[in-house]
Amino acid sequence: MKPFDIVIVGGGGAGLYAAMEAMKTNAGLNIAVISKIYPNRSHTSAAQGGANAALANKAKDDTVEMHIFDTIKGSDYLADQDAVEVLCSEAPKIIRELENMGTPWSRLDDKTIAQRPFGGAGRPRCCYCADKTGHTILQTLYEQCLRKGVQFFNEYFALDLSVDGSRSKGLIALNVKTGKIEAFPAKTVIFATGGYAKMYWNRSSNAAGNTGDGQAIAYRAGIPLKDMEFVQFHPTGLRKSGLLVTEGARGEGGYLVNALGERFMSRYAPEKMELGPRDLVSRSLETEILEGRGFDSPAGKYLHLDLRHLGADLIKSRLPQIREMCMYFEGVDPIEEPIPVRPTAHYSMGGIDTDNYGRTVMEGVYAAGECGCVSVHGANRLGGNSLLDILVFGRIAGRAAAEEAGKFDPSPIRDVEILGKELELRSFMQPSGHYERYGTLREELGHTLGQNVGIYREASKISKGIEDLAALKERFSHVRVFDTSDVYNTNLIQVLELRNMLDLAETVAAGALVREESRGSHTRTDFPTRDDDNWHRHTTYTLEKGAPRLGFKPVTMGRYELQERTY
Amino acid sequence: MTDSTIQHNEDKRDVTFRVHRFNPQVDSKPYFDDYTIKLEKGITVLRALNYIKEHVDPSLTFRAFCQAGICGSCAMRINNMSKLACTTQVWDELEKSREPDVIKVEPLRNLPLIKDLVVEMDPLVGKMQQYSNWVDSKMPEEQWGRKEFLVSEEEFLKYDKATDCILCASCVSECTILRANREYVSPAILLKSYRMNVDNRDASHEERLAGLVKDHGVWDCTHCYRCQESCVKHIPIMDAIHGIREDALESRGVKDTSGARHAEAFMEDIEKKGKLVEATLPIRTNGLAWTLRNLLPMAFKMVIKRRTPPPPPLVKSTKGIDAFRAEFREMSGHVAKDHEKKSGE
Repeated sequence: MKPFDIVIVGGGGAGLYAAMEAMKTNAGLNIAVISKIYPNRSHTSAAQGGANAALANKAKDDTVEMHIFDTIKGSDYLADQDAVEVLCSEAPKIIRELENMGTPWSRLDDKTIAQRPFGGAGRPRCCYCADKTGHTILQTLYEQCLRKGVQFFNEYFALDLSVDGSRSKGLIALNVKTGKIEAFPAKTVIFATGGYAKMYWNRSSNAAGNTGDGQAIAYRAGIPLKDMEFVQFHPTGLRKSGLLVTEGARGEGGYLVNALGERFMSRYAPEKMELGPRDLVSRSLETEILEGRGFDSPAGKYLHLDLRHLGADLIKSRLPQIREMCMYFEGVDPIEEPIPVRPTAHYSMGGIDTDNYGRTVMEGVYAAGECGCVSVHGANRLGGNSLLDILVFGRIAGRAAAEEAGKFDPSPIRDVEILGKELELRSFMQPSGHYERYGTLREELGHTLGQNVGIYREASKISKGIEDLAALKERFSHVRVFDTSDVYNTNLIQVLELRNMLDLAETVAAGALVREESRGSHTRTDFPTRDDDNWHRHTTYTLEKGAPRLGFKPVTMGRYELQERTY
Repeated sequence: MTDSTIQHNEDKRDVTFRVHRFNPQVDSKPYFDDYTIKLEKGITVLRALNYIKEHVDPSLTFRAFCQAGICGSCAMRINNMSKLACTTQVWDELEKSREPDVIKVEPLRNLPLIKDLVVEMDPLVGKMQQYSNWVDSKMPEEQWGRKEFLVSEEEFLKYDKATDCILCASCVSECTILRANREYVSPAILLKSYRMNVDNRDASHEERLAGLVKDHGVWDCTHCYRCQESCVKHIPIMDAIHGIREDALESRGVKDTSGARHAEAFMEDIEKKGKLVEATLPIRTNGLAWTLRNLLPMAFKMVIKRRTPPPPPLVKSTKGIDAFRAEFREMSGHVAKDHEKKSGE
């Protein structure tokens, strides 16, 4: 089989942009996009808010420079300043490019792309299409890839890299529809599989499949991960599903109320109350629950977001989407009842360690988007920068891979490697005396991470989390796949996803324990302040003898000196 | 504070999910399995299916991804209507159930079955390609990224609603034409085609339209409105279909395709007689040769069964035809004026 020039794993914004850019760079390339779902289903579609770019359509005095500063400050100074410069200076170009290829955008009176204010940004620079920006970007990219004739392998689950010394030979993947394991020999591989925040399971706003597959594959192949301990929590997720109730609900005047009927934010932010910064509000909700002032339910402890005093008219006219969501997913009409909420994990800042071109330490392997860690978000991502990240670095990785693809001819992936994988997967289906249910382990994983490596962290709790993870890994070896059919075996896929999450959870916990400071999304109650002398550096994790070996990398500085982060 | 304020008092019920099962490796034909589980109010059908998969039967197979109504993966037929499992409350469905406490769950129709509740989506992707469901930008690619097209909010609103489509295929599943002919373009693709055609940044409007008026295209729709009824995003799909038809009549003329000629023949009859002259309708729509070739056997059958339509001379005008004609002309006048206004914009 002739090797592909580029195999892209993941069909979200980053993967599709990479594919398109690679074809633009060299139309003769043989490119495959492998996705475990249909690309138009990818989680990019869930991003509602928009993408930041200093177009200066709305605020005429906005500049790329201001965008750079906001991003670095937002990252709590852990972002690499050269990477942030790339992100922000490419932003206007890439938003216009998306517009030129047909992405729908909301418009201003002067017919230019509309922009709105967003948290942590000094100017209104978030470009949007109503509340469906990610959806429309994803649709457009998918349509354009179809126009260009990109080859899609939909519903293929990536299993592992095939490695030859220091270089990748390609990818091994499971064809979900047939159950066949197939080789994708490739000169270059780009991982664009999205984030890993779903490891918090019911305490995550992510799609069921955001299980960090790309990160886990890279990690198993010996490629270092970076800054894994940084996971962003959103204050108001729905109790049962973790789905987000957007900040707009508090913006319109919603109250956060505990089981004693108190508007508890008066304790934490007496002036700003419910409209304090996102991380502070998340921490406040968590404190209320931890100190026993939450409501109890089979789905876990929670608090109330009460909108009733706003009245039916205002809720219907200004918050129709939020009302619909609460009715669909929680069975609660916010006009009549308070909304049950709790903080929810929704973005992973960490990922596969890459340089500014998306290159990893392994030759021929790239990563982009939430899957990678350049790093542009540092310890805390700003709203509107995630869509931008996947577009800019997806494109850069696509171009870099296209340029490199011609220079290398990989040796073939051997049949014995495929056979090995087949045996490995079959072994999950072998009957054994004592077995574990993957669903239970998955819930316990989310629970221990939420309890011990969640919003508030401290040495004793994290250590407990690490013990729990070790026990879960042991129990995972007894997990049995009951569905033995080859065709569309979601039982098997979900078990493989759980394995990926377990591998990555160890790095999150290890990083949380070692980083003895509080920075951005990482809050240690036993080390409550930022410690630049010891911890102004990235953490890295390399798999060695079945456990993460920790390393460190300096932060690339530039024009901006370290400052205290206050708003 | 009493316990009851903390212990949310929640309604619980035994609910039976009657789920369509089929594993092509084992089963010769599909069957139904009943799963009865105790559920609290506020649970969605998808959460119930997840529970069954995790705790009762891990082999139960369905697609699901975002679980938030935006990715479109979990469309399936619930109580005989295609919809998203993740946005459907069990309690709401129980009110619609034919058998008390039983919810029927089946795969989407009109797409090839793979397993249990999973159907093949490739035919839909194939049609996206066949009908060029993308913007073919007026701007050459090498100029992309320099400056934006100027688009008024009004222009944007022309395609805003259509871009809500998440390709969940609920409309495809409910479409009555697709049940008879799987080659039919399908409502979702017509909606997407419309969205591209009204985007003034697109350069392929004419070519796309030429594809849409061919066989299995836009003229095959019978206006049953089932697609619009089932749309999970409440998109007025029929407006898009009518929009394409009007566009085709306007820019390609009435002589262009059988569909357009059929529409014209209708108008002619209604104006003249107030009802249809069915015997000659196929000839005026598709021509004599086509009619003889395709409809002769049916004509014989109709003769045998004595179901032939009356010959044209025997079709008498309806009562009050003069008043009707006056109204008809007045309406046609309005339509003509509207068209003038539109093209003048």
